[in-house]
Amino acid sequence: MAKLTIDGKEIEVPDGTRLFDACREARGGRDLPHFCYHPDLSIAGVCRLCQVEIEGMPKLTIACNTIVRDGMVVHTTSKRVNQAVTQVLEMHLINHPVDCPICDQAGECGLQDQYMDYGLYESEVEKTDKVLKKKAKVIGPHVILDQERCVLCARCTRFCEEVTGTGELGIYNRGDRAEIDVAPGVELDNNYSLNTVDICPVGALTSRDFRFQKRVWLLKSTSSVCNGCATGCNVRVDHEGGRIYRLKPRRNDEVNGPWMCDKGRMTYKDVHREDRLDRVLVRREGELQPISWAEGRQELLGAVKPGGVGYVLADPGRSLEELVLIQRLATELVGEEPMAGGVSDDGHDEGDDLLLSADRRPNRKALAWLDFAEKPAEALAGELSGASGVLLVFGGDPLAHQALADAASRMRVVYLGTHRTATAEAADVVVPLSMWAEKDALWVNKQGRIQRGQRAVLPPGDAREDWRVLVDLLQSIGHDPEVAGLPALRRLVAARLELEDENLLNRLPEGGYAPPRLADAPTGGR
Amino acid sequence: MSYKGLPDVVTTRRRNLLESAYFTEIARGLAVTGRHLIRNLFNTDKMPTVQYPDQKRDYGPRFRGRHRLTQREDGSPRCVACMMCSTVCPADCIEIIAGEHPDPTIEKYSKEFNIDLLRCVYCGLCEEACPCDAIRMDTGIYEIAAETREAFVVNKDFLLNNDKDGTL
Repeated sequence: MAKLTIDGKEIEVPDGTRLFDACREARGGRDLPHFCYHPDLSIAGVCRLCQVEIEGMPKLTIACNTIVRDGMVVHTTSKRVNQAVTQVLEMHLINHPVDCPICDQAGECGLQDQYMDYGLYESEVEKTDKVLKKKAKVIGPHVILDQERCVLCARCTRFCEEVTGTGELGIYNRGDRAEIDVAPGVELDNNYSLNTVDICPVGALTSRDFRFQKRVWLLKSTSSVCNGCATGCNVRVDHEGGRIYRLKPRRNDEVNGPWMCDKGRMTYKDVHREDRLDRVLVRREGELQPISWAEGRQELLGAVKPGGVGYVLADPGRSLEELVLIQRLATELVGEEPMAGGVSDDGHDEGDDLLLSADRRPNRKALAWLDFAEKPAEALAGELSGASGVLLVFGGDPLAHQALADAASRMRVVYLGTHRTATAEAADVVVPLSMWAEKDALWVNKQGRIQRGQRAVLPPGDAREDWRVLVDLLQSIGHDPEVAGLPALRRLVAARLELEDENLLNRLPEGGYAPPRLADAPTGGR
Repeated sequence: MSYKGLPDVVTTRRRNLLESAYFTEIARGLAVTGRHLIRNLFNTDKMPTVQYPDQKRDYGPRFRGRHRLTQREDGSPRCVACMMCSTVCPADCIEIIAGEHPDPTIEKYSKEFNIDLLRCVYCGLCEEACPCDAIRMDTGIYEIAAETREAFVVNKDFLLNNDKDGTL
């Protein structure tokens, strides 16, 4: 441990700590001004903003590239430091175009923040004297570059070298003509390219998808979990007026660190897709026709009766609570056998060794925990051809498999789902459900970590909280699970998983919780 | 605690006999009314009433009337859709949809710019907030009438060609 004094405050930090981090601790969580320092990248030391005064050293030193030593006396707000930071900032701003009105970064920009803290000087540079560079240069499928706004912190180039190892970006030329660019003929086209937008402290790299969609200060943020694959990256859903505009990663060192993949970021588009189900549909005269929720509920309750249901099919895209309730419902309706947690052939794609998992369902692990086995399409088709009555499908798109569609053609299909899939088209009753961003739900990632996603927006039209529909169904067949709200539901789930504390899921820590008892459970699927 | 210059206790003078006799005070009041009546009857020029709409009051040059969108020298709208006005608007009456401008030196422009004149409180914060001097309230128009609520939502074309006519 090293004992040092920062701004008159004595703190003790482990040996080897960066002075930058020690300063944050001493300053009550407030970072030193900085552009280039990033805890998950190497030290570049190029922005010169985190300069501090260390007693006994003749010059100011950058805190990011200094390791603490016992007995250090550090000043972070002395007149000398403030003056130095202001001057460095002025240098950064010499060639900055100050086009904040049309810059998407405005509102979450490092230059703006730093200027409010350390700047507020009269600029000595005429706008016409500035070095002009390329603006709005498309450098990849997701990222657009503005070289004039760049402060050359080299975070993006370090990211491409150290995290993805692809090295598309580089700094070209020297002096005030130095600029970030991709090499000729190269595109910034990797699955993690939008992370460069996150770590860019200014508006040099911005997202093409989010471009001009919304000013960031109008957005509200909700913590959630990405549903794109089994990794379960922690995300922040940025939304406004019932519409999601972007997903940003939320740091969770156990799961995704500070990163997130581009595929995952685009999953929000499914929430607002054209083919979302928002009304109950019933097949009348061969056509699916929308009916009111009250009528639709009667239709659903009428179809889902013990003896009437022949097979129950879930999907690992449903949340943990839903899967628990679906399994309970299925057991009451059809007994132990004629049910499956999903089609094990579905939801697999190419993964990578960073975050993207080959398993593209967010909750397969939960199926394994619940002993709610998935079955391959072929086996399912065999079982379905022996079944009769109602085929109850919760989410997914099992009937996209021709074998399953054929096997189910004699059955009455009741589909509860989110999109107008092949299964919906083949169904006789279609009930809209909520998607991940529209409900408060628990997800079990591939590590066996239970994570909570909160509700960001309301589901469209008549779609409502899925667990309420399931509880309604259970009540109608005379097996009331007696859950009036989410806390009771989560106690039910905890009891089902035999967790040590029944309220554990109601007090889930920020980073999620991995129950040690279930750590060795086999993964679901094949 | 007393405020500076103000007495701690306010005492009211009791009415004297004449004042509490009712009729004397009524007569005094009527005299004031009558004085104004007669003065205005014979001196109509000095009367504060304006014969609207034949006659209109003059307002100062800084009067905030109906909004307009200004143009650059080449005639294109100045607005770059930075959303400062719609952010600062206390009545939340400005709706802007931004788009990518074909000219890369402009980059961003407002594809749609709608103001709900019924919601607007004419506070002038939008022109105050605008970094490009794109929105102004200097038309001097205050007669705003329409037959439907929808007609009060004026669009970008209207705001760019805002003339002195009050009809929407």
